[in-house]
Amino acid sequence: MPDIGGADLFVLEFGDILHYFTPYTATLFIFALLFTGLAIASRPERQLDIVFGGDAYYAKQTTLPEMRFRRFMAIACGLASMGAMVSGDLFNFTLFVSLVGITNIGIVAAVKSRHVLNAAYEYGIVAMVATLPLFGGAALVLATTGTLSIPALAAGGYTVPLVAKILLALGVIGEGMAPFYAAKAEMFRAPGAPYVIMCSLSSLLIFLRVVEIVITI
Amino acid sequence: MIQAYPLGLFVAFASTGIAFFALTRETDGLHRLLLTDLVEVVTLAFIALVGTDLAEALILPGLVVGASELIALSEIFRIKEGYTRPPTETLQIEVMKTAPPILAALLVCYGIVLSGFSGGAVAGLGMIFYFLSRSPGERFEVIETASGYSWVLWIIAFFIFMILPQYWFFAVMLAGSAILLKVTAKMSLIGTMRGGPNA
Repeated sequence: MPDIGGADLFVLEFGDILHYFTPYTATLFIFALLFTGLAIASRPERQLDIVFGGDAYYAKQTTLPEMRFRRFMAIACGLASMGAMVSGDLFNFTLFVSLVGITNIGIVAAVKSRHVLNAAYEYGIVAMVATLPLFGGAALVLATTGTLSIPALAAGGYTVPLVAKILLALGVIGEGMAPFYAAKAEMFRAPGAPYVIMCSLSSLLIFLRVVEIVITI
Repeated sequence: MIQAYPLGLFVAFASTGIAFFALTRETDGLHRLLLTDLVEVVTLAFIALVGTDLAEALILPGLVVGASELIALSEIFRIKEGYTRPPTETLQIEVMKTAPPILAALLVCYGIVLSGFSGGAVAGLGMIFYFLSRSPGERFEVIETASGYSWVLWIIAFFIFMILPQYWFFAVMLAGSAILLKVTAKMSLIGTMRGGPNA
Protein backbone atom coordinates (compact mmCIF):
# COMPACT_ATOMS: atom_id res chain seq x y z
CA MET A 1 0.00 0.00 0.00
CA PRO A 2 1.45 3.41 -0.91
CA ASP A 3 2.04 5.46 2.20
CA ILE A 4 1.53 9.06 1.16
CA GLY A 5 0.87 10.40 4.63
CA GLY A 6 4.38 9.82 5.94
CA ALA A 7 5.45 8.38 9.27
CA ASP A 8 3.24 8.85 12.32
CA LEU A 9 4.17 11.90 14.36
CA PHE A 10 1.69 11.42 17.19
CA VAL A 11 -1.09 8.95 17.91
CA LEU A 12 -3.93 9.73 20.31
CA GLU A 13 -5.74 6.61 21.46
CA PHE A 14 -9.28 6.26 22.81
CA GLY A 15 -9.56 2.52 23.19
CA ASP A 16 -9.55 1.08 19.67
CA ILE A 17 -10.52 4.41 18.12
CA LEU A 18 -7.47 6.54 17.46
CA HIS A 19 -6.55 9.88 16.01
CA TYR A 20 -3.23 10.08 14.27
CA PHE A 21 -1.05 12.86 12.98
CA THR A 22 1.21 12.26 10.00
CA PRO A 23 3.04 15.13 8.24
CA TYR A 24 0.16 15.14 5.73
CA THR A 25 -2.76 15.14 8.15
CA ALA A 26 -0.93 17.43 10.59
CA THR A 27 -0.51 20.05 7.85
CA LEU A 28 -4.21 19.89 6.97
CA PHE A 29 -5.10 20.00 10.68
CA ILE A 30 -3.01 23.14 11.18
CA PHE A 31 -4.71 24.77 8.19
CA ALA A 32 -8.14 24.05 9.66
CA LEU A 33 -7.00 25.31 13.08
CA LEU A 34 -5.60 28.50 11.57
CA PHE A 35 -8.78 29.31 9.67
CA THR A 36 -10.96 28.53 12.68
CA GLY A 37 -8.87 31.07 14.60
CA LEU A 38 -9.39 33.57 11.80
CA ALA A 39 -13.15 32.96 11.82
CA ILE A 40 -13.21 33.59 15.59
CA ALA A 41 -11.08 36.72 15.44
CA SER A 42 -12.23 38.53 12.32
CA ARG A 43 -15.16 40.89 11.86
CA PRO A 44 -17.69 40.24 9.08
CA GLU A 45 -17.09 41.98 5.82
CA ARG A 46 -19.02 45.23 5.15
CA GLN A 47 -20.18 45.02 1.58
CA LEU A 48 -20.75 48.13 -0.55
CA ASP A 49 -22.82 48.22 -3.74
CA ILE A 50 -22.06 51.19 -5.95
CA VAL A 51 -25.03 52.62 -7.85
CA PHE A 52 -24.16 52.55 -11.51
CA GLY A 53 -23.64 55.98 -13.04
CA GLY A 54 -23.64 57.95 -9.80
CA ASP A 55 -21.76 58.63 -6.61
CA ALA A 56 -24.26 56.89 -4.34
CA TYR A 57 -23.68 53.48 -2.77
CA TYR A 58 -25.57 50.98 -0.63
CA ALA A 59 -23.85 49.76 2.52
CA LYS A 60 -25.09 46.26 3.40
CA GLN A 61 -25.27 45.64 7.13
CA THR A 62 -24.84 42.24 8.75
CA THR A 63 -27.08 42.07 11.82
CA LEU A 64 -25.57 40.87 15.09
CA PRO A 65 -27.68 37.67 15.46
CA GLU A 66 -26.88 36.68 11.88
CA MET A 67 -23.18 37.36 12.42
CA ARG A 68 -23.16 35.33 15.64
CA PHE A 69 -24.95 32.41 14.04
CA ARG A 70 -22.62 32.33 11.05
CA ARG A 71 -19.56 32.65 13.26
CA PHE A 72 -20.79 29.75 15.39
CA MET A 73 -21.36 27.66 12.27
CA ALA A 74 -17.92 28.59 10.91
CA ILE A 75 -16.26 27.53 14.19
CA ALA A 76 -18.26 24.27 14.23
CA CYS A 77 -17.26 23.69 10.62
CA GLY A 78 -13.60 24.24 11.55
CA LEU A 79 -13.83 21.80 14.45
CA ALA A 80 -15.51 19.20 12.22
CA SER A 81 -12.82 19.57 9.56
CA MET A 82 -10.11 19.24 12.22
CA GLY A 83 -11.76 16.02 13.40
CA ALA A 84 -12.01 14.71 9.85
CA MET A 85 -8.34 15.46 9.26
CA VAL A 86 -6.96 13.40 12.11
CA SER A 87 -9.58 10.68 12.57
CA GLY A 88 -8.24 7.15 12.29
CA ASP A 89 -11.67 5.56 12.10
CA LEU A 90 -13.47 5.41 8.78
CA PHE A 91 -16.95 5.80 10.24
CA ASN A 92 -15.89 8.74 12.43
CA PHE A 93 -14.44 10.30 9.31
CA THR A 94 -17.75 9.98 7.47
CA LEU A 95 -19.57 11.47 10.46
CA PHE A 96 -17.19 14.43 10.59
CA VAL A 97 -17.64 14.91 6.85
CA SER A 98 -21.42 14.97 7.13
CA LEU A 99 -21.05 17.44 10.03
CA VAL A 100 -19.00 19.63 7.68
CA GLY A 101 -21.85 19.36 5.18
CA ILE A 102 -24.49 20.40 7.74
CA THR A 103 -22.46 23.36 9.03
CA ASN A 104 -21.79 24.48 5.45
CA ILE A 105 -25.54 24.61 4.85
CA GLY A 106 -25.83 26.63 8.07
CA ILE A 107 -23.17 29.15 7.02
CA VAL A 108 -24.85 29.79 3.69
CA ALA A 109 -28.43 29.62 4.97
CA ALA A 110 -28.08 32.27 7.69
CA VAL A 111 -28.42 35.01 5.08
CA LYS A 112 -32.09 35.88 4.85
CA SER A 113 -32.21 36.53 1.15
CA ARG A 114 -34.21 34.50 -1.31
CA HIS A 115 -31.57 33.61 -3.85
CA VAL A 116 -29.09 32.64 -1.12
CA LEU A 117 -31.72 30.46 0.57
CA ASN A 118 -32.51 28.82 -2.77
CA ALA A 119 -28.83 28.01 -3.24
CA ALA A 120 -28.58 26.70 0.33
CA TYR A 121 -31.63 24.51 -0.20
CA GLU A 122 -30.29 22.99 -3.40
CA TYR A 123 -26.92 22.42 -1.76
CA GLY A 124 -28.61 20.89 1.28
CA ILE A 125 -30.45 18.38 -0.90
CA VAL A 126 -27.15 17.37 -2.50
CA ALA A 127 -25.46 17.08 0.90
CA MET A 128 -28.31 14.99 2.27
CA VAL A 129 -28.33 12.64 -0.71
CA ALA A 130 -24.53 12.33 -0.45
CA THR A 131 -24.80 10.66 2.96
CA LEU A 132 -25.91 7.53 1.09
CA PRO A 133 -22.64 6.87 -0.80
CA LEU A 134 -20.68 8.13 2.22
CA PHE A 135 -22.18 5.80 4.82
CA GLY A 136 -22.75 3.11 2.20
CA GLY A 137 -19.03 3.09 1.39
CA ALA A 138 -18.05 2.88 5.06
CA ALA A 139 -20.59 0.10 5.65
CA LEU A 140 -19.26 -1.85 2.65
CA VAL A 141 -15.72 -1.56 3.99
CA LEU A 142 -16.92 -2.82 7.38
CA ALA A 143 -18.85 -5.70 5.80
CA THR A 144 -16.01 -6.90 3.58
CA THR A 145 -13.02 -6.42 5.89
CA GLY A 146 -14.55 -6.43 9.37
CA THR A 147 -12.69 -3.35 10.53
CA LEU A 148 -13.05 0.41 10.17
CA SER A 149 -9.63 1.39 11.46
CA ILE A 150 -7.65 3.21 8.78
CA PRO A 151 -4.20 2.20 10.15
CA ALA A 152 -5.28 -1.45 10.26
CA LEU A 153 -6.60 -1.27 6.70
CA ALA A 154 -3.42 0.50 5.58
CA ALA A 155 -1.25 -2.22 7.12
CA GLY A 156 -2.48 -4.54 4.41
CA GLY A 157 -4.03 -7.98 4.44
CA TYR A 158 -7.45 -6.66 3.53
CA THR A 159 -8.92 -6.20 0.09
CA VAL A 160 -11.18 -3.20 0.15
CA PRO A 161 -13.59 -3.40 -2.82
CA LEU A 162 -13.18 -0.67 -5.41
CA VAL A 163 -16.92 0.08 -5.19
CA ALA A 164 -16.54 1.07 -1.54
CA LYS A 165 -13.69 3.45 -2.35
CA ILE A 166 -15.66 5.01 -5.22
CA LEU A 167 -18.72 5.41 -3.00
CA LEU A 168 -16.62 7.02 -0.27
CA ALA A 169 -15.08 9.52 -2.68
CA LEU A 170 -18.50 10.24 -4.23
CA GLY A 171 -19.97 10.92 -0.81
CA VAL A 172 -17.22 13.39 0.07
CA ILE A 173 -17.67 15.11 -3.30
CA GLY A 174 -21.38 15.48 -2.57
CA GLU A 175 -20.88 16.72 0.99
CA GLY A 176 -17.89 18.91 0.47
CA MET A 177 -17.28 19.94 -3.09
CA ALA A 178 -20.79 21.31 -3.40
CA PRO A 179 -19.91 24.57 -1.60
CA PHE A 180 -17.67 25.38 -4.51
CA TYR A 181 -20.67 26.12 -6.66
CA ALA A 182 -22.84 27.42 -3.83
CA ALA A 183 -20.15 29.60 -2.27
CA LYS A 184 -18.66 30.86 -5.49
CA ALA A 185 -21.84 32.60 -6.52
CA GLU A 186 -22.86 33.59 -3.00
CA MET A 187 -19.47 34.91 -2.04
CA PHE A 188 -20.02 37.89 -4.30
CA ARG A 189 -23.76 38.29 -3.96
CA ALA A 190 -24.15 38.10 -0.19
CA PRO A 191 -21.96 39.69 2.49
CA GLY A 192 -20.22 36.56 3.62
CA ALA A 193 -16.50 36.83 4.22
CA PRO A 194 -14.76 35.35 6.15
CA TYR A 195 -17.37 32.72 6.94
CA VAL A 196 -18.02 31.61 3.38
CA ILE A 197 -14.29 31.03 3.01
CA MET A 198 -14.70 28.35 5.68
CA CYS A 199 -17.10 26.46 3.35
CA SER A 200 -14.56 26.32 0.55
CA LEU A 201 -11.63 25.56 2.82
CA SER A 202 -13.37 22.72 4.68
CA SER A 203 -14.50 21.10 1.43
CA LEU A 204 -10.98 21.34 0.05
CA LEU A 205 -9.55 19.80 3.23
CA ILE A 206 -11.97 16.87 3.41
CA PHE A 207 -11.40 16.18 -0.25
CA LEU A 208 -7.61 16.09 0.23
CA ARG A 209 -8.10 13.79 3.19
CA VAL A 210 -10.39 11.34 1.38
CA VAL A 211 -7.86 11.12 -1.44
CA GLU A 212 -5.27 10.06 1.12
CA ILE A 213 -7.65 7.54 2.71
CA VAL A 214 -8.71 6.00 -0.61
CA ILE A 215 -5.10 5.61 -1.74
CA THR A 216 -3.91 4.26 1.62
CA ILE A 217 -6.58 1.64 2.42
CA MET B 1 -29.03 -21.20 -0.50
CA ILE B 2 -29.08 -17.54 -1.42
CA GLN B 3 -26.66 -15.47 0.65
CA ALA B 4 -28.57 -12.87 2.67
CA TYR B 5 -26.01 -10.08 2.45
CA PRO B 6 -25.60 -9.89 -1.37
CA LEU B 7 -29.36 -10.13 -1.74
CA GLY B 8 -29.89 -7.30 0.74
CA LEU B 9 -27.19 -5.27 -0.97
CA PHE B 10 -28.94 -5.80 -4.30
CA VAL B 11 -32.26 -4.63 -2.85
CA ALA B 12 -30.58 -1.59 -1.27
CA PHE B 13 -28.89 -0.63 -4.54
CA ALA B 14 -32.19 -1.10 -6.39
CA SER B 15 -33.95 1.18 -3.87
CA THR B 16 -31.14 3.70 -4.32
CA GLY B 17 -31.75 3.65 -8.06
CA ILE B 18 -35.48 4.19 -7.57
CA ALA B 19 -34.90 7.03 -5.09
CA PHE B 20 -32.40 8.81 -7.34
CA PHE B 21 -34.64 8.35 -10.38
CA ALA B 22 -37.52 9.91 -8.44
CA LEU B 23 -35.26 12.78 -7.33
CA THR B 24 -34.31 13.59 -10.91
CA ARG B 25 -37.94 13.55 -12.03
CA GLU B 26 -39.37 15.62 -9.17
CA THR B 27 -39.27 19.40 -9.44
CA ASP B 28 -41.40 20.53 -6.48
CA GLY B 29 -39.22 21.62 -3.53
CA LEU B 30 -41.18 19.99 -0.72
CA HIS B 31 -41.54 16.67 -2.54
CA ARG B 32 -37.80 16.60 -3.19
CA LEU B 33 -37.20 17.11 0.53
CA LEU B 34 -39.45 14.13 1.24
CA LEU B 35 -37.62 12.04 -1.38
CA THR B 36 -34.25 12.76 0.25
CA ASP B 37 -35.68 11.12 3.36
CA LEU B 38 -36.21 8.01 1.24
CA VAL B 39 -32.49 8.12 0.42
CA GLU B 40 -31.71 8.43 4.16
CA VAL B 41 -33.66 5.26 4.89
CA VAL B 42 -31.65 3.36 2.26
CA THR B 43 -28.47 4.70 3.89
CA LEU B 44 -29.54 3.21 7.20
CA ALA B 45 -30.37 -0.04 5.40
CA PHE B 46 -26.80 -0.17 4.06
CA ILE B 47 -25.42 0.07 7.59
CA ALA B 48 -28.02 -2.32 9.03
CA LEU B 49 -27.13 -4.96 6.43
CA VAL B 50 -23.78 -5.49 8.14
CA GLY B 51 -25.80 -6.99 10.96
CA THR B 52 -23.32 -6.87 13.84
CA ASP B 53 -23.36 -5.08 17.20
CA LEU B 54 -21.06 -2.46 15.71
CA ALA B 55 -23.55 -1.82 12.90
CA GLU B 56 -26.26 -1.30 15.50
CA ALA B 57 -24.07 1.29 17.18
CA LEU B 58 -23.36 2.98 13.83
CA ILE B 59 -27.03 3.29 12.87
CA LEU B 60 -27.65 5.78 15.67
CA PRO B 61 -25.21 8.48 14.48
CA GLY B 62 -26.37 7.86 10.90
CA LEU B 63 -29.95 8.43 11.99
CA VAL B 64 -28.99 11.56 13.93
CA VAL B 65 -27.14 13.01 10.93
CA GLY B 66 -30.10 12.29 8.66
CA ALA B 67 -32.63 13.76 11.09
CA SER B 68 -30.58 16.91 11.70
CA GLU B 69 -30.11 17.50 7.99
CA LEU B 70 -33.82 17.01 7.45
CA ILE B 71 -34.67 19.50 10.21
CA ALA B 72 -32.16 22.07 8.90
CA LEU B 73 -33.46 21.74 5.35
CA SER B 74 -37.11 21.99 6.37
CA GLU B 75 -36.28 25.15 8.33
CA ILE B 76 -34.58 26.61 5.23
CA PHE B 77 -37.58 25.59 3.13
CA ARG B 78 -39.98 27.22 5.58
CA ILE B 79 -38.11 30.55 5.55
CA LYS B 80 -37.50 30.37 1.80
CA GLU B 81 -41.18 29.96 1.07
CA GLY B 82 -42.15 32.56 3.66
CA TYR B 83 -44.17 30.27 5.93
CA THR B 84 -43.60 32.39 9.04
CA ARG B 85 -47.12 32.48 10.48
CA PRO B 86 -47.47 29.92 13.28
CA PRO B 87 -50.58 27.75 13.12
CA THR B 88 -53.21 29.48 15.22
CA GLU B 89 -55.22 26.56 16.51
CA THR B 90 -54.75 22.85 17.02
CA LEU B 91 -57.23 20.15 16.17
CA GLN B 92 -60.43 20.84 18.09
CA ILE B 93 -61.89 17.39 18.62
CA GLU B 94 -62.99 15.73 21.81
CA VAL B 95 -60.60 12.78 21.68
CA MET B 96 -57.59 15.11 21.50
CA LYS B 97 -58.55 16.49 24.94
CA THR B 98 -59.17 13.28 26.83
CA ALA B 99 -56.95 10.63 25.25
CA PRO B 100 -53.48 12.25 25.35
CA PRO B 101 -52.91 12.18 29.14
CA ILE B 102 -53.86 8.49 29.41
CA LEU B 103 -51.89 7.38 26.36
CA ALA B 104 -48.89 9.55 27.28
CA ALA B 105 -48.87 8.20 30.86
CA LEU B 106 -49.00 4.60 29.58
CA LEU B 107 -46.20 5.17 27.08
CA VAL B 108 -44.02 7.04 29.59
CA CYS B 109 -44.47 4.28 32.21
CA TYR B 110 -43.60 1.59 29.67
CA GLY B 111 -40.62 3.67 28.54
CA ILE B 112 -39.32 3.91 32.11
CA VAL B 113 -39.61 0.12 32.42
CA LEU B 114 -37.64 -0.34 29.19
CA SER B 115 -35.11 2.38 30.14
CA GLY B 116 -32.12 3.27 28.02
CA PHE B 117 -32.38 4.55 24.47
CA SER B 118 -35.38 2.52 23.33
CA GLY B 119 -37.23 3.42 26.53
CA GLY B 120 -36.50 7.06 25.86
CA ALA B 121 -37.91 6.72 22.35
CA VAL B 122 -41.13 5.12 23.65
CA ALA B 123 -41.58 7.68 26.44
CA GLY B 124 -40.70 10.48 24.01
CA LEU B 125 -43.42 9.29 21.65
CA GLY B 126 -45.94 9.66 24.45
CA MET B 127 -44.64 13.16 25.23
CA ILE B 128 -44.79 14.18 21.55
CA PHE B 129 -48.40 13.05 21.38
CA TYR B 130 -49.25 14.91 24.58
CA PHE B 131 -47.62 18.19 23.53
CA LEU B 132 -48.93 17.98 19.96
CA SER B 133 -52.53 17.81 21.07
CA ARG B 134 -52.24 20.59 23.64
CA SER B 135 -51.11 24.19 23.54
CA PRO B 136 -47.47 23.88 24.56
CA GLY B 137 -47.05 27.25 26.28
CA GLU B 138 -43.60 28.09 27.62
CA ARG B 139 -41.97 24.73 28.25
CA PHE B 140 -38.86 25.01 26.12
CA GLU B 141 -36.54 26.20 28.87
CA VAL B 142 -37.42 23.45 31.36
CA ILE B 143 -37.16 20.66 28.78
CA GLU B 144 -33.85 21.93 27.46
CA THR B 145 -32.41 22.19 30.99
CA ALA B 146 -33.48 18.64 31.84
CA SER B 147 -32.00 17.39 28.60
CA GLY B 148 -28.70 19.17 29.21
CA TYR B 149 -28.29 17.87 32.77
CA SER B 150 -29.11 14.30 31.75
CA TRP B 151 -26.56 14.52 28.97
CA VAL B 152 -23.94 15.55 31.53
CA LEU B 153 -24.90 12.53 33.69
CA TRP B 154 -24.54 10.27 30.66
CA ILE B 155 -21.04 11.59 30.00
CA ILE B 156 -20.14 11.15 33.68
CA ALA B 157 -21.26 7.53 33.42
CA PHE B 158 -18.90 7.04 30.48
CA PHE B 159 -16.03 8.50 32.47
CA ILE B 160 -16.81 6.05 35.29
CA PHE B 161 -16.61 3.21 32.74
CA MET B 162 -13.17 4.39 31.68
CA ILE B 163 -11.62 5.53 34.98
CA LEU B 164 -13.37 3.46 37.68
CA PRO B 165 -14.47 0.27 35.92
CA GLN B 166 -15.21 -1.49 39.21
CA TYR B 167 -18.32 0.72 39.64
CA TRP B 168 -19.70 -0.38 36.27
CA PHE B 169 -23.16 -1.27 37.64
CA PHE B 170 -23.68 2.23 39.00
CA ALA B 171 -22.50 3.67 35.67
CA VAL B 172 -24.88 1.42 33.70
CA MET B 173 -27.81 2.57 35.84
CA LEU B 174 -26.73 6.20 35.53
CA ALA B 175 -26.28 6.01 31.75
CA GLY B 176 -29.56 4.11 31.30
CA SER B 177 -31.67 6.59 33.21
CA ALA B 178 -29.85 9.65 31.84
CA ILE B 179 -30.26 8.59 28.21
CA LEU B 180 -33.92 7.81 28.95
CA LEU B 181 -34.42 11.38 30.21
CA LYS B 182 -32.42 12.92 27.40
CA VAL B 183 -34.15 11.13 24.53
CA THR B 184 -37.56 11.75 26.09
CA ALA B 185 -36.78 15.46 26.48
CA LYS B 186 -35.40 15.81 22.98
CA MET B 187 -38.33 14.02 21.39
CA SER B 188 -40.90 15.97 23.38
CA LEU B 189 -39.34 19.17 22.00
CA ILE B 190 -40.60 18.04 18.58
CA GLY B 191 -44.12 18.09 19.97
CA THR B 192 -43.78 21.71 21.06
CA MET B 193 -42.52 22.94 17.69
CA ARG B 194 -45.16 25.27 16.33
CA GLY B 195 -43.00 27.81 14.55
CA GLY B 196 -43.70 30.38 17.25
CA PRO B 197 -41.24 32.96 18.59
CA ASN B 198 -39.35 30.22 20.46
CA ALA B 199 -38.79 28.01 17.46
